Amino acid sequence: MRDSILDVIKKRRSIRKYKKDNVSKDLLLQLIEAAIWAPSGSNVQPWYFVIVNDANTIEQVNAFSPGLLGDPPSIILICSDRKKAFEKAGTLGRDELCVMDISMAAQNIMLSAEEIGLSTCPVKSFNKRAISKILNLPDYVSADLIISVGYSDEITSTPKRRSVKEVTFFNTWGGKIQ
Amino acid sequence: MKEKEIIKLFTYMVTSARGCIDEPKIYGPFRLIDSISKLYSILKENNLIENEEVSKVIEKIEKKKYSCMTDKKEFVTMLDDIIDDFVTLFNFNK
Repeated sequence: MRDSILDVIKKRRSIRKYKKDNVSKDLLLQLIEAAIWAPSGSNVQPWYFVIVNDANTIEQVNAFSPGLLGDPPSIILICSDRKKAFEKAGTLGRDELCVMDISMAAQNIMLSAEEIGLSTCPVKSFNKRAISKILNLPDYVSADLIISVGYSDEITSTPKRRSVKEVTFFNTWGGKIQ
Repeated sequence: MKEKEIIKLFTYMVTSARGCIDEPKIYGPFRLIDSISKLYSILKENNLIENEEVSKVIEKIEKKKYSCMTDKKEFVTMLDDIIDDFVTLFNFNK
């Protein structure tokens, strides 16, 4: 029986040690298919996805990405077209909706990966300037988030979570769950 | 020794230095401790270090370094613990 969406959400972990096995191009593209169905403010869909699965290029990206750990065989760089977002949705689109859009797309990628037996880790600790040069990004595109993708080679523990009761209010701030 | 490995380590350190200006404070100690791991790997691969006690310290680092993201107390305990190890190492080498 397939896992429910909640099971997949709860099973996902940020993985920082990968096996050397490559991820097929079809599977990587399947993750992008999931990404492009994320919600998007004003339907701007500002995202672009740069898949890097060439060992030499990954090595270069890795060198300038202190947060990219565990030698993943592939990465997905999620970028956004801030110019397009501004033209369609103003400063709200450029400065806030873009970040939300690519975050929701990222979550789609990570959950889809989990469902098909792949592991991921979202990485923000990278040098944008260097990564933009290495991957030849145009000026109007912002390199926003790296997701490492591969087959996990580590046993993870379950991180602590704040409870539903602690973080939820009904109707007004402080309203208790009945 | 492969020069490229050293350049990679330098790149990691300088990129970390730039990143730490904007990143969460705890990432600074993590990058320093991770740099020790990376430097040790280079030295080990080139047969430039063969100290079993140091090797044990590195194992401790590898086992606990990511706790900085989930359990700061555990991370700090690990740092204190390896400082004790290095105190012993200095005495041993006298």
